[in-house]
Amino acid sequence: MAVDTQPTDENPLLEGLSLRRTPDPCALVIFGASGDLTHKKLMPALYALMVRRMLPPRFAIVGVARSDGDDDAFRKDMKEAVQKHARDEFRDDVWNELAESMHYLATDFADEGGENALADLLTQLDAEHDLGGNRVYYLAVPPAAFPTIVDALGRRRTAKGWTRLIVEKPFGHDLESAKELNRMLWEHFDEKEIFRIDHYLGKETVQNMLALRFANGIFEPIWNRQFIDHVQITVAESIGIEGRAGYYESAGAIRDIFQNHLLQLLALTAMEPPIDFTAESVRNEKVKVLKSIHTPGPKSVVRGQYGRGYIEGEEVPAYREEKGVAADSMTETHVAAKLYIDNWRWADTPFYVRMGKRLARRETTIAIQFKRAPHPPFEETSAEGLRPNVLLVHVQPDEGVSLAIGAKVPGQGLSIRTVHMDFLYGGTFRTGMPEAYERLIVDTLLGDGTLFTRADEVEEQWLLVDTIIAAWQRDRPGFPNYAAGTWGPPSADDLLKRDGRSWRRN
Amino acid sequence: MTAPAAVEHWQGDDVRLADVESALAKLRAASAPPGSPPDLRTSVMTHIAWIPAGWQDQARAALAGMAEQHPSRALMLFPDPDSGEHRIDAEVSLECYAIPGADRNICSEVIELRLFGARAKAPASIVEPLLISDLPVFLRWRGEPLWEAQELDQLVRIADRLIVDSTEWDDLPYPYTRLAELFDRTAVSDIAWARTSRWRAILASLWPDIADVGTVRVHGTAAQAHLITGWLRSRLGRPEIALEHVPADRLEGIDLDGSPVSFPPGDPPLPSDVLSDELDRFTRDRVYEAAVLAAAQ
Repeated sequence: MAVDTQPTDENPLLEGLSLRRTPDPCALVIFGASGDLTHKKLMPALYALMVRRMLPPRFAIVGVARSDGDDDAFRKDMKEAVQKHARDEFRDDVWNELAESMHYLATDFADEGGENALADLLTQLDAEHDLGGNRVYYLAVPPAAFPTIVDALGRRRTAKGWTRLIVEKPFGHDLESAKELNRMLWEHFDEKEIFRIDHYLGKETVQNMLALRFANGIFEPIWNRQFIDHVQITVAESIGIEGRAGYYESAGAIRDIFQNHLLQLLALTAMEPPIDFTAESVRNEKVKVLKSIHTPGPKSVVRGQYGRGYIEGEEVPAYREEKGVAADSMTETHVAAKLYIDNWRWADTPFYVRMGKRLARRETTIAIQFKRAPHPPFEETSAEGLRPNVLLVHVQPDEGVSLAIGAKVPGQGLSIRTVHMDFLYGGTFRTGMPEAYERLIVDTLLGDGTLFTRADEVEEQWLLVDTIIAAWQRDRPGFPNYAAGTWGPPSADDLLKRDGRSWRRN
Repeated sequence: MTAPAAVEHWQGDDVRLADVESALAKLRAASAPPGSPPDLRTSVMTHIAWIPAGWQDQARAALAGMAEQHPSRALMLFPDPDSGEHRIDAEVSLECYAIPGADRNICSEVIELRLFGARAKAPASIVEPLLISDLPVFLRWRGEPLWEAQELDQLVRIADRLIVDSTEWDDLPYPYTRLAELFDRTAVSDIAWARTSRWRAILASLWPDIADVGTVRVHGTAAQAHLITGWLRSRLGRPEIALEHVPADRLEGIDLDGSPVSFPPGDPPLPSDVLSDELDRFTRDRVYEAAVLAAAQ
């Protein structure tokens, strides 16, 4: 959470007090309260925030879903979710305090009855807890439900208090639908009131990329085409589609990961230093990068789909054998691409990116590979184990940073090999790492949009994705083309091999 | 607080510092099973603790809660200047914690040095070879410093920050005058001051009504009473604010001109958390310094 030293012009007692900014009293309304996201992420995050006293002193949670139920049943259900998924030990006193603030409303929001019931409940909570009319609406529902809810909320919003709207991904299906969604949101909400979640931005290590780059004088001078040979970004999952065939069949890896998480990682890696860490400054710089990405040609983007294979020694089915997936599905579960950023800093420096499901292991990394030393004065054999310097940012798991350097092997002669200097978050700062949703919920309560995606960012991301998908219409690869448990199709390796490079060995 | 996954240990009597350094290297090599990658040593500082007789248990307890949050090399110095012998006894421990999701440990080093006789008189010369290069040095002085002693002078010279707990001192507020003499030499943290932060936030929220307060009654330790009053005097520019101190083991309440101030929300921080917060500070705390000067008036 942001820690502020408060202004001291008027109150001399505030100087030097490191006060944690406390969010205003408010009601948090979660649409989709019976869903997976609420159980696995949102409620455990709210519990963690309650443990750390980071929620407002006057606070109410309203769960909205179609399933029948009442306050007691909702609290019982959420208690089980917290006991199962929270990162903190379960404490009755903390839970009881949180549960007291929780309410449930069963409605599909398709008629005025549901809207009235919610409005009445919020009015009642306002009066009981003095919430000042402040509202956070969390749309943890499928995109098809957005218009009905947003329209109803917009029509009924009052001038009292502030309103913020959290929108989960996927934000649109293509550029046109994203624009349409933005237009719909803007009918009732100001851009500053809209918080589009890309939960990767809530991860500590993603934010650490900014600290690494802009808090260390040694990296920024070499963070450019002069010294960096290329960048590799990997977002690999070993899991399959986990029963989400309905969504994944129409999304594929490019909409599921590339459009949002991957392009955000790329933007944070490549952006210019912002003038400050305010929401607009950071997002302005990210948008510049997204606008600068050169549209890749067909040969620079490859796709794959997994066939049968082995994960952790266990045979897993092919994508086309997953429940709900068409037997002749052409949905890609893997994408690899070579991207160029057309600006002064990065011209001609390739960014190789790859992402996919059922890959050899779960790993998200950003690898900055530096150019080789120009003329190592060693015999060729002595340095044959020497690889170029790589700065490796581990986003997950094993969050941290490694720097690969060449070092002399102890002993006679001069044999050089690559060694890793590791900074592991879990090793240096052993205080528990907050989950991404904890940070993002608090930031929303505080009205800080720095770690959320702005409308123009989303649209730039879709513009690139739409172009790639359009090119895909012209060919039909032979799927499946990689076995589950491997690193993707051979064509992904060829992408780098053509340039005399290879994917890092994970 | 998590118990270490492994503790490697070495002890030696009448040692040289080279013995200590050598023991550290051996312990690091021995901490990982054969064939496994070596354990990691990650440090963010050197933490020196000057621990006169009578403070050992408290010092160890505070350190135990802190190693996880501030991986460091801890140098615990136990002076015994009146001993008839002149030697250094050492105990070196490597406390290793499992890194979640990795098959490696992260290790912190704890070096306990017992300084007998004349060897307790020049502690800086003992500490300096053991400092981790380029990292900040925090000096925790247990009890009231011997203001005129060369030991204090030497250790303050090498420390980036002196951490005291004026709750441990007698005859307040006089020692604050002596403490203030160090302000231009090193940054100072006072755990007694840190423990008042929740109450200071509450008092700050009473602005502007608090501006005219005449008498502050503090139910707490003498240090807390003097520091809160000194803070109000200095911040409000009103040295005439009077203090009424009602002794208590911890800060239990504050009355302003007879009216009690509401209790701050939440639980008071643990001692190790208070120390930990002070180890995150790197610059002079001018507000604290002004409060100390006003308390000492």
